[in-house]
Amino acid sequence: MTLLFARSHQWLTPSPLEILSRLLGFFLVFTLSGNTVVADTYKEKLDLQPLSGQFLLASFNFQNHGPIEAFNKQMFQLFPRSLGQILQYTHTRELHLRFALGRWDSELWGAQPGDGQNAGGTGVETWAWVEADNDVEAEARWTSLNNALSGLFCASLNFIDSTRTIRPVMSFNPTGDYPTTNTSRLFLLHGSLPKEPVCTENLTPFLKLLPCKGKSGISTLLDGHKLFDASFQSMSIDVRPICSPHTGTCDIEIQQTIDMVLDISRSLQRKDSPVPRPRDQHELICDTSKPYASNEYCYPMDNSIDLPWSLSDLFGRTISGGCPFAINLPAEETQHVCIRAPENKLTTMETLELAAPTLTEGQPDLKCYMLRENVPFDLSFPKQQPPISPLRQEPLLYAERSFTGHGQEHGGVKTVLRNPNPNDPIEVVYLESLPWFMKPYLHTFKAQVLPVLAGEEDVISELYYRPALDRKRGTQLEAKLIVPPNSVVILTYDFEKAVLRYTEYPPDANRGFDVASAIITIPPQRRRSDGKKVPATSIRTTSLLLSLPTPDFSMPYNVIIFTSTIMALAFGSIFNLLVRRFVAVDEVQRVDLKGKIRGLLGKLKKGKTE
Amino acid sequence: MALRVPVNLRKNLSVVLYAFQGLSILAVIVGLASLLLLPLDEYSRRTYISENALLPGQVHAYFGGSEQNIVRAFRREVDLLGNSTSDVVAERMAEIFRSAGLKVGKQRYSYKAAGGEYTGENVYAVLHAPRGDATEAIVLCAPWRNIDHLLNEGGVALTLALSRYFKRWSLWSKDIIFLISSDARAGPQAWVDAYHDLHGENIQSLSVKSGAIQGVVVVDYPGAYHRFESLHIIYDGINGQLPNLDLINTAVQISRDQMGLRTDLQEMWNHDDGYRHRLRTMLRGMVNQALGHSTGPHSSFIPYHIDAITLATHGDGGWHDEGSLGRTVESVFRSLNNLLEHFHQSFFFYLLMAPKRFVSIGTYLPSAMLLAVGLTLTAIRLWVDPRSRSGEVEKEEKREKEREGGNQGEVVAVDGGPKRELFLPMSIVIGVHFCGVIPFAVFNSVDHKSMSSVFYISIATSVILPTLISILITLTASPHRLLPAFHLSRCFSLLFLGMFLSTLATLNFSLSFLIGLFSLPLTFARTTPKSVPSALVNSILLQATSPFAALFAVAGYWGLGVEDILKEASFGWWVWGMWTPVVVWCVWWPAWVVGRVSVDSSFVMAAMGKGGDL
Repeated sequence: MTLLFARSHQWLTPSPLEILSRLLGFFLVFTLSGNTVVADTYKEKLDLQPLSGQFLLASFNFQNHGPIEAFNKQMFQLFPRSLGQILQYTHTRELHLRFALGRWDSELWGAQPGDGQNAGGTGVETWAWVEADNDVEAEARWTSLNNALSGLFCASLNFIDSTRTIRPVMSFNPTGDYPTTNTSRLFLLHGSLPKEPVCTENLTPFLKLLPCKGKSGISTLLDGHKLFDASFQSMSIDVRPICSPHTGTCDIEIQQTIDMVLDISRSLQRKDSPVPRPRDQHELICDTSKPYASNEYCYPMDNSIDLPWSLSDLFGRTISGGCPFAINLPAEETQHVCIRAPENKLTTMETLELAAPTLTEGQPDLKCYMLRENVPFDLSFPKQQPPISPLRQEPLLYAERSFTGHGQEHGGVKTVLRNPNPNDPIEVVYLESLPWFMKPYLHTFKAQVLPVLAGEEDVISELYYRPALDRKRGTQLEAKLIVPPNSVVILTYDFEKAVLRYTEYPPDANRGFDVASAIITIPPQRRRSDGKKVPATSIRTTSLLLSLPTPDFSMPYNVIIFTSTIMALAFGSIFNLLVRRFVAVDEVQRVDLKGKIRGLLGKLKKGKTE
Repeated sequence: MALRVPVNLRKNLSVVLYAFQGLSILAVIVGLASLLLLPLDEYSRRTYISENALLPGQVHAYFGGSEQNIVRAFRREVDLLGNSTSDVVAERMAEIFRSAGLKVGKQRYSYKAAGGEYTGENVYAVLHAPRGDATEAIVLCAPWRNIDHLLNEGGVALTLALSRYFKRWSLWSKDIIFLISSDARAGPQAWVDAYHDLHGENIQSLSVKSGAIQGVVVVDYPGAYHRFESLHIIYDGINGQLPNLDLINTAVQISRDQMGLRTDLQEMWNHDDGYRHRLRTMLRGMVNQALGHSTGPHSSFIPYHIDAITLATHGDGGWHDEGSLGRTVESVFRSLNNLLEHFHQSFFFYLLMAPKRFVSIGTYLPSAMLLAVGLTLTAIRLWVDPRSRSGEVEKEEKREKEREGGNQGEVVAVDGGPKRELFLPMSIVIGVHFCGVIPFAVFNSVDHKSMSSVFYISIATSVILPTLISILITLTASPHRLLPAFHLSRCFSLLFLGMFLSTLATLNFSLSFLIGLFSLPLTFARTTPKSVPSALVNSILLQATSPFAALFAVAGYWGLGVEDILKEASFGWWVWGMWTPVVVWCVWWPAWVVGRVSVDSSFVMAAMGKGGDL
C-alpha cells in the first residue's frame, strides 16, 4: 500500500522570547500599515516532483512584489535593500542572475522546470537591461553593477569584463513592462563565467536576500551541504518591473528560485553511512533465478522499489514553520509545499489537521500543504513497490555540444540539436559566446540536417556574428534556425586556438579554459499541427573545456640561464679575440720591474725638488 | 695559435679526414656505451610523483566483500557469452549497464587492412559525475578479448561490477566512462577516433559523449582462474609515444605500496633490480617503442594526448583475486579523480628499467644523437674528402675563376681544387628515396595471403636493385665522374639519414637509435674497385643489416612469421596511423640502397675495368 502523509508537531507553549518577538512583529506590522504605502506581498513555494531514476526535483520559489514608487524612493520593505540600492545606482531596470552547478539530464528527467527560464549555464551567468544614454555609459554601469554584485554574492562577477560581455540580438527579450521608459535607452548586456564554482559562499548571500533569511519557511531546508550535493542545482534571481494593464500601477518584482535534483538513494545512503562501502552480503538483492545463484555468486537485481524518504531524510532537517510574511495571504496563495506524484499511487492520505493537503482542480496528482508559523513541517513519501513511473515532460529540444578534433592548433565544435516532435518543426535561436582566444572560422559554420530531406538544406534563416578582437572582446554568434520535425540538426564550425601571452595564463593553465554554455532559446511560437502555443523556453548546453597550447612554465628560467651562459661564453671569447693582440713570445718587451720602480722613484724625486 | 690551425689543415687535409673518422667512430662508441651505462644507479633515477594532486594510495579502497559476489556472477555471465557475436555481446553488456542506471552507447566499426576486415561493436556507459558539468572524463576500459585474443572474463566482469560500485560514490569530479571494446586493437581505436569525431566512414559516431578524457585505465584479466600473482603494467603507445610517467608511478605506488601487489614491466617477471634485468627491461621497452605498435587497448589513446595504461594480471599461483585488482583500480581512479589539471607535471619522454627506476630524455637522448652525429660526421668527411671532386677540372678554369674574383657563390671549393659534380649523386639519392614509396605502398595494399610471396619478391628486388643501379650508372656516366658520384651520393644519403635520425630521436628515441645502430655499416660502405674482398665483406655486412634482415630479426624476436609482421605493419598503418613503416621504407631503406649501390659499384667497376683509385 502506498501512502503519503504529512507529519506535524503539536503547538507548543510559546516561550517568553517568542512572545516578545511576536509582539515586536505586531508592532512592526502596525507601524507599517499606518504608512500610506501598500505593503509588499511575499510568496514562497516548494514544489517537489519525483523524477525517473530515483531522483527528486525540489523547486524553491520566493517571490516578492512591491510598488515601484516606494522602491524608487528607497523605501524598502521586504525587497532587499542591498540589492535595491545597487540596481538604482547602476540604473539597472531588469536583472537576471544565475548560479548553476551540474547538468540537467534531459534524457532522463525530461524538460527543465519553468521551461528552463530559471536555469543558467554552468557557473555564473548574468544579463541585465541597463538604462543609459549611450553605449559607453551602459558599459560603465554594467561594469559597476557586476562589481557590486560580485561583492554582494561573493562571486567573481567582477571578472565579467568586455571580453566576456556580449550583447545578444535575438536571444533575450525583456520580461518586465516598461510603459514609461524609452526602450531605446535600455541596453541589454550579458556575461558568463563558466569556470566559477558555485558553492556555499554564494548561497548565504542568496538566503540573506529573503525576508525570512533561511530562519523559517521553506528556505530552512536550504542547507549548503545538501544543496551542493545535489546532482543539479540552479539558483536564480530575477528583478523586473511589472505593471498592471488595468490600473497602470507598476510593481517591482524580485523572484528567487532554487531548482535542485536530489539523488534519493545517495542522499539516504549518506545518512546511514557516509562511505558507500560494500553492503553486507544479506543486504544484496540477488537474482535467484540464475542457474549459478548461490552464496558466492550474486547477480544484482534491478532496483524494483522506490525508497521511502522524508524531507528530513533528504535535507537533514524539517521546515521550521512558515515564514510569517508568507502566511497571511489569500487561500490560493498559501500552498507552500506541493508534491506531484501520479494520482493512482496516492490511494490513502493520512494527514494531521494542521497540514491538510489541498487539491488543485484539474491536477489530481498535485498535493499541496500549508505551513503554519512555528509549526515544524515534514513530509514522508513511503516505499513504492512497484516503483512509480514519474511524469516526464518531453523536452522541446535536445541539445548537446562537444569538441571535435585534437591537437593544440585547431579544433572544431559540434552541436547536435534534436527535435523529438514527430510533426512540428521548431524555431530556435542558437547563441554562442566564445572567448577571444578561440577564433571560429565563420566559413566553416554549417548546419546539416539528418535525415536528409529535400528542401530542408538551409535551416539557418538568420545569422548574427560579431567577431572577436584580441584581448578586447569575445566572439558572439547567434543563429536563428529551424529544426525539422523528428530530425537532428548538426551545427559544426572549426576554430583556431590563439597562443596567449605568458602572463595571461591562469595558475592552472593545463586544466584548460572553460567555454561558456551555448544558449538555445525557443521563442514563443504556435505549433503548426494543432495551433497550440509553445511557451518561450531556454536550454543550455554543457560548458566545454578548451585546452590551449601551454608553455612549460619553468622554461623561461631555463632559457634565461642558457642564453646568459651562451652570451657570456660567446661574448667573452669574441671580445677576447678582438681586444687581445697576438704576438710571438720573443717580440714581447721584457717587463723591467726594477727599472720601472726606479723611474717612478725618479719622478717622485723630481716632483719633490720642483 | 688557434687561428693558425685551419691554415695548416688546408695544406694537410688527411689530418682533417682522420680526425673526422676518429670523431665519428668515437661518437658511435660513446653513444653505445652511454646507453649501456643508463641502468647504473648513477645515471638512472628513482621514480617520484610530480603531481601533488594525485595523492596515490592516500585513500582507503573499499572494493571487496559482497562486491566480489557480484564480480563472480558477472564472470559467469561473460563466460556464457564467450563465443557469441559482438552484437549479442554488446546488447547484453548494454543491458547490464542500463540496469545500473548509466547512459549507454554502442558503436559498430569495421576496418580494412591487409586484405582482412576487422569488425566489431564497442559498448560503453557514461557515469555522470554527481554535480559534474561534463567537461572532463576518465575511462575504465576492458577489451572483450585481450591482445592475445583471450576472453577477458575477469576484466569485463570487474568493469561491470565497478560501474555499479562507482555509481554509489558521490565524490567523482569527472565523468567515468566504462568502455567494453570488442577487441584490444581496433575497437579502442575506433572508439577514441569517434570520440574526437575523426573517425572513418565505416565507423559509427558515438551517440553519448562526455568531456575531455583525462586518463584511461585498461583492465586485462583473462581466464577463468581468478587468482593471480602480479600486475603487469603496459604503457607503450602508438608510434612510441608514452603516457605521462605520473600515471605509471601512481599505478605502481598503489599496487605495490598500498595493495602489496608486485608490479612488472615489459614482461620481466622476476625482476631483481640488478643491472642485467634493468638493461633487459629497458631494451624490451625500446623494442616496443621502436616498433611503435599497439601493445594494448591503452595504446590507441596516447596519440590523442590522453594518458593511458593497461593493468594486466600475470600468473595464476598468487593469492590476489578480483578484490585486490578492484581495489587497485578504485584507488587509481580516486587519484585520477583528484587531478586538477591534465597530466603535465611529470615526464613524457623516459625509459623505464624497473617499476621504480627510470631515465629521462636528458640522460638518454645523447646516445641516439651520437649515433646520428656519427653518420653526419662521416657525411661531412666524405664532403671534405678530395675524392668527392671530379679530377677533370682544368687548372685554367680555376685560374679564370680566381681572376674573376672567385666569389660567385658557385660550388667552387673555397680552398680551390676541382669542382664537385652534384647532379648525378643528387639524382641517385633523391630517386632512391622516391623509390621508397613503392615498397611502402605495396606492403600496405597487398592482401595478407600474398604477403609472403610479395615479401620474397621484394627481397630479391631489393638485392638486385642496387646492383642494377650501379651497373646503369657505370655504363652511362663518364669514368672520371664515377667514383666521385658514388662517393657524393653516399655523402648525401648519410647526411640526410643523420639529420633525420637526430630529429627522430626527439620524437621516438628507440626507433632512431635502432635504425642508427643498423645503419652503422653504411659508414664503411665504400666503393673499393681495387679491393674486391673488402667490398665483399662490406656487402655481406650491409645485407645482414638491411631492413629485411631487421624484419626477420623482429619476427624472430616475437616468434612470428615475417608475413605476420608485415600484416601487423599494414594494419598499424591503416588502423592506428603507425608511422614506423614510413620511416623504414622512405628513410632507412633508401639509405641502405645507396650504401649497397656504393659497395656494388666496386664489383661492377672491377668487372668492367673502370676502377679508379679510391
